Amino acid sequence: MAEAQGDKTLTLSEQYHLKGNEEKANVGIKPEEVKEVQNPENAASKEVVADKAEETPAAAAAVASEESSGSTPTAVGEESTEDNTGAAENSTEAAPEESSENTENSGEQEVEEETPEVKLETAPADFRFPTTNQTRHCFTRYVEYHRCVAAKGEGAPECEKFAKYYRSLCPGEWVERWNEQRENGTFPGPL
Amino acid sequence: MIVLEWLFLTIAPCDAAEPWQLGSQDAATPMMQGIMDLHHDIFFFLILILVFVSRILVRALWHFHYKKNPIPQRIVHGTTIEILRTIFPSIIPMFIAIPSFALLYSMDEVVVDPAITIKAIGHQWYRTYEYSDYNSSDEQSLTFDSYTIPEDDLELGQSRLLEVDNRVVVPAKTHLRIIVTPADVPHSWAVPSSGVKCDAVPGRLNQISISVQREGVYYGQCSEICGTNHAFTPIVVEAVPRKDYGSRVSNQLIPQTGEA
Repeated sequence: MAEAQGDKTLTLSEQYHLKGNEEKANVGIKPEEVKEVQNPENAASKEVVADKAEETPAAAAAVASEESSGSTPTAVGEESTEDNTGAAENSTEAAPEESSENTENSGEQEVEEETPEVKLETAPADFRFPTTNQTRHCFTRYVEYHRCVAAKGEGAPECEKFAKYYRSLCPGEWVERWNEQRENGTFPGPL
Repeated sequence: MIVLEWLFLTIAPCDAAEPWQLGSQDAATPMMQGIMDLHHDIFFFLILILVFVSRILVRALWHFHYKKNPIPQRIVHGTTIEILRTIFPSIIPMFIAIPSFALLYSMDEVVVDPAITIKAIGHQWYRTYEYSDYNSSDEQSLTFDSYTIPEDDLELGQSRLLEVDNRVVVPAKTHLRIIVTPADVPHSWAVPSSGVKCDAVPGRLNQISISVQREGVYYGQCSEICGTNHAFTPIVVEAVPRKDYGSRVSNQLIPQTGEA
């Protein structure tokens, strides 16, 4: 199961080494099945990763459903049960609260069809903020996003990355408070 | 019998504190490995100094005796020995400082871009974890609270005051960025196996970057007095293989984003 994964063939140091921001490792729920599909998708989408991040769930879900209908039913059945038991174990161990719904799901094949692919990607390290204190990193990204929106207009695709960055870095509570302050016109930053 | 129990019958989870533990817990990150290596290196010289100093001390005590040496020597000055015992002890800390600072600064440094960001937010007295890399709006899509499991609800094999209901799940062998901050009073986020002990200061975001090298469950406790239930806010990190992390995150995302 694990051997089938693409990156397992790499050497240890290559495994640890994360390639640039653009191609972070793609992690899907069932690498052995998605693998063939992943590669062409990757190659095609390297340039537009930033935009793709938004649509990936839908795309992956579509891919997954294609996959399961395309491949032989017996193989899917076997592998999926394996996977699901693994997933069920995990979830019961880790999160007793959620385990009830997860185990229900994972008993069937539903999970496979609707799980979106998860891309391991986050705000990159920023040379303006090399220290442990990242408070201004979060604030700056928030301000950058809203300045970008002010300049390029609502929903401009080049602003989306700033939005992702500040969402990754800032606690939800802070973002809520700042949003309120912006509405009231009391936001203390250079917007 | 009790001794036997200590020796053989203790359940010893390698990534949690255990009874009568003297050494560090097993390292799970290169950072912790570095800390342990530095500790062992310094300890070697520490023992040498200890032996040397104790020898001088014991010898002086031994020979200071009213029968064996009725007339004690009355030396109060010795320029050579005084210079030596001033210079050498001040050089030794300098040599210890070199690897120590190297380690200290390398722990701060973020060498590669992290793959995921997790926000560990301390509350009185629980922790909230936010996985916001997968958000498409300001709505939090993957956020959960992590409470300690009360003593009465513990199952067999679980550690008292160390288990939580929702563990932090992280991918192993991946560069993580953990943003530590509290929502009320100062807290701390400490996991000994990963060599992390980071204070959470209100209004400030502290970043730690770690890369857990092996799958496992790592236990830690709050390390900054944060109020009455300070002792009841443990931290449990569960490192899983990358693909399991992916499936787990997507499973948890579904209730919020899916079905649409």
